[in-house]
Amino acid sequence: MSGSGRVRVAFVGKGGAGKSTIAGTFARLLGRAGRSVLAIDSDPLPGLPYSLGVAVDDRPIPDDAVTEGPPGGPRWVLAPHLDPEALIRRHGRVCPDGVRYLQFGNLRGHVAALQKAQHAWSQTVSELDRHRWDVVGDLPGGTRQPMFGWAKYAEVVCVVVEPTAKSLHTARRLLTLSKSRWAPQTVAVVASKVRGPDDAELIGSRLGAEVLAAVPHSDPVLAGDRRGAAPLDADPEGDFAKAVGVLVERVLSLYPAAAKERS
Amino acid sequence: MLGSVPADEVIVVADLEAGIGTLTRLEEARVDVTVIVAEPTPRSIDVAARAAAVAAERRQGRVIVVANKVTGDDDRQRVARALGGTEVVAVPLDAAVEEADRDGVSPLDRSPGAPAVAALEGLADLIAGHPGRGRPDVG
Repeated sequence: MSGSGRVRVAFVGKGGAGKSTIAGTFARLLGRAGRSVLAIDSDPLPGLPYSLGVAVDDRPIPDDAVTEGPPGGPRWVLAPHLDPEALIRRHGRVCPDGVRYLQFGNLRGHVAALQKAQHAWSQTVSELDRHRWDVVGDLPGGTRQPMFGWAKYAEVVCVVVEPTAKSLHTARRLLTLSKSRWAPQTVAVVASKVRGPDDAELIGSRLGAEVLAAVPHSDPVLAGDRRGAAPLDADPEGDFAKAVGVLVERVLSLYPAAAKERS
Repeated sequence: MLGSVPADEVIVVADLEAGIGTLTRLEEARVDVTVIVAEPTPRSIDVAARAAAVAAERRQGRVIVVANKVTGDDDRQRVARALGGTEVVAVPLDAAVEEADRDGVSPLDRSPGAPAVAALEGLADLIAGHPGRGRPDVG
């Protein structure tokens, strides 16, 4: 892990497994602990705003944030008046617990409309000051983006898995990220929507991997989801929040410098 | 790929990726019916509304919204209100479906009489043009 003491985590998994719900809560708990957190979402229909507790905003990063890139380089690069910090200040939304949230836009038509915004987003994420920000990323469901390197900013990739056959099937594929050219330093399994210790054990044994943390099915969180409330607002002290708190601790423990900072 | 299937001989049921990406890339007017599945949550309803707009704009046939995992008429109404004017079929939250999902088997094989399965039979009849055999809760 980097010695900066800042964590870089991405959440992947099958659609509906609970990635966004866990990622948003994870980001807010880090923010609540006084850390500078940038939550990022590479889903053109992002779910992270709901779990962070901010309204959905369709406005993309504007086209004038980029200019044509150099020959042989990326097609678009950040405009001269912008660097990653400036872009975050201008377009990163302020969320509860001090988290900043950066998305490239919210899809209404063809994804090509977001191309410039995607370039601005990617450059910002890759050139971010790693001594300043914890990065918490949420990817779209499935394997496509992770396998194409969209989580390459992350040192820890959490594969979120429900105790269902379909979710386990996707997770098996995602665990091969550890052997890919984009391999993060750690690929961890996070059991989601578990209804007891048996479920987490089942997930671990089916995947042949250790479960870093188990996050329970939660009726209060589900009820909050139906009325558009973030998990931490719907059930601040509940089992779901506690379990994500355990996950935060376990991820931080993977970073010796972060552990030292806390002690 | 859809274009290579003899439409008069075969019924094609395609399960697209989550979101609207595939729908935006699908050639115009390639399907007879677009079924959009939405849970009664703001996030899911928002995606469904965007999908319905894309399907209509790209002339992807009749649009039917499935309000999935509903626990009462409030849930169905919430989806129907947001998708104003679109046919809505309610499929109830059903423990039998969750159990089948956990075991990796089809709900149709595990619990053919389950309420969610019955609702989906109604949807199939609605699409295939046999209304009345099933009992879809259409709003």
